Amino acid sequence: MSVVDHNAIELAAPRISEAEVGDYIALLKPRVMSLVIFTALVGLAIAPGHFHPVLAITSLLCISVGAGASGALNMALEGDIDALMSRTANRPIPRGRITRAEAMAFGVTLSFFSVMTLGILVNWYAGALLAFTIFFYVVIYTMGLKRRTAQNIVIGGAAGSLPPVVAWVAATGSISVEPLLLFLIIFFWTPPHFWALALFRSDDYARAGVPMLPVVAGPDATRLQILLYTIVLVAIAASPWPLGYFDAIYGVTSLILGAGMLVLAVNVYVARERSQSLRATRKLFAFSILYLFALFATLLLEVVVRAVAPWIGLGVG
Amino acid sequence: MDDKREREGIVLTEAQKRSRRQRSIAIALALGVLVVLFFAVTIVKGPVVLNRPL
Repeated sequence: MSVVDHNAIELAAPRISEAEVGDYIALLKPRVMSLVIFTALVGLAIAPGHFHPVLAITSLLCISVGAGASGALNMALEGDIDALMSRTANRPIPRGRITRAEAMAFGVTLSFFSVMTLGILVNWYAGALLAFTIFFYVVIYTMGLKRRTAQNIVIGGAAGSLPPVVAWVAATGSISVEPLLLFLIIFFWTPPHFWALALFRSDDYARAGVPMLPVVAGPDATRLQILLYTIVLVAIAASPWPLGYFDAIYGVTSLILGAGMLVLAVNVYVARERSQSLRATRKLFAFSILYLFALFATLLLEVVVRAVAPWIGLGVG
Repeated sequence: MDDKREREGIVLTEAQKRSRRQRSIAIALALGVLVVLFFAVTIVKGPVVLNRPL
């Protein structure tokens, strides 16, 4: 005689995924990936010496897939809070298209392949640094800092600042001052950028219980911090010119763009009336994206000008 | 009736079949890219690719 009545056991119907490729692409955070690819491309472009195009493409591919993997792991770990925020409620996990376990498996697989491929095909220093970047974003930022401290995006910003350094290490096998300057620029750009977003999305973050600075310290303290970080950012972004690392084209552009950032940050600090404040923070948020893009694009332009100059008879550099 | 259902097992809906096919094609393409990448780098590096000091 059996103690279990088999007829009484009703197995739950297995869940069969209807997730499409687009849902998995959304897990990779394509917009973040595009910024990672661009900053890594600049890291490769300014690196000295000859780097074979096939190896350059391989490095960019691995770095971008590694960044995408971090995004997927981040979404797997934040499915609960993503569902509570209007900005993230449409992501594949809150919508029920992909389970957290599936996203986790996807992220781990891509992390493994991106790190191993970069290590085997390019060099192991770059592979190890990419692994550290993914670890920092997923474990230190997402699991450790995000829900615990208002300094989450300040410290966590290091992960987003590393792609150009990984690219430089992939190209040269070593580290130098130039990629560290790029690291510092992105590192000090992150707080004004994300705190501007957090200012006009603070209700979202409060509902989800994420201790972003405007939620914890209030909008006034956040406005002051945005202004202070922007001053430091503009100074650091301009410093490579007088220090002799980047040329005048970059120096002048960084000063012009920096002036724009400063004006908008001052506007955010001054505007306290609700609709004015909202407009000022949205402007700063939008301009900060343009600022970083234009700054790095100028570095690319400098490389192109330096490469083309001898052909057209200009004595640059 | 129950016997028939048991023999058929789990029957996928059209949407499930379509999405599974899409995912399979994407995995095949990703593997293809990986193969091409390893082949191209092997050609680029030449015999040096075998020289991997610890």
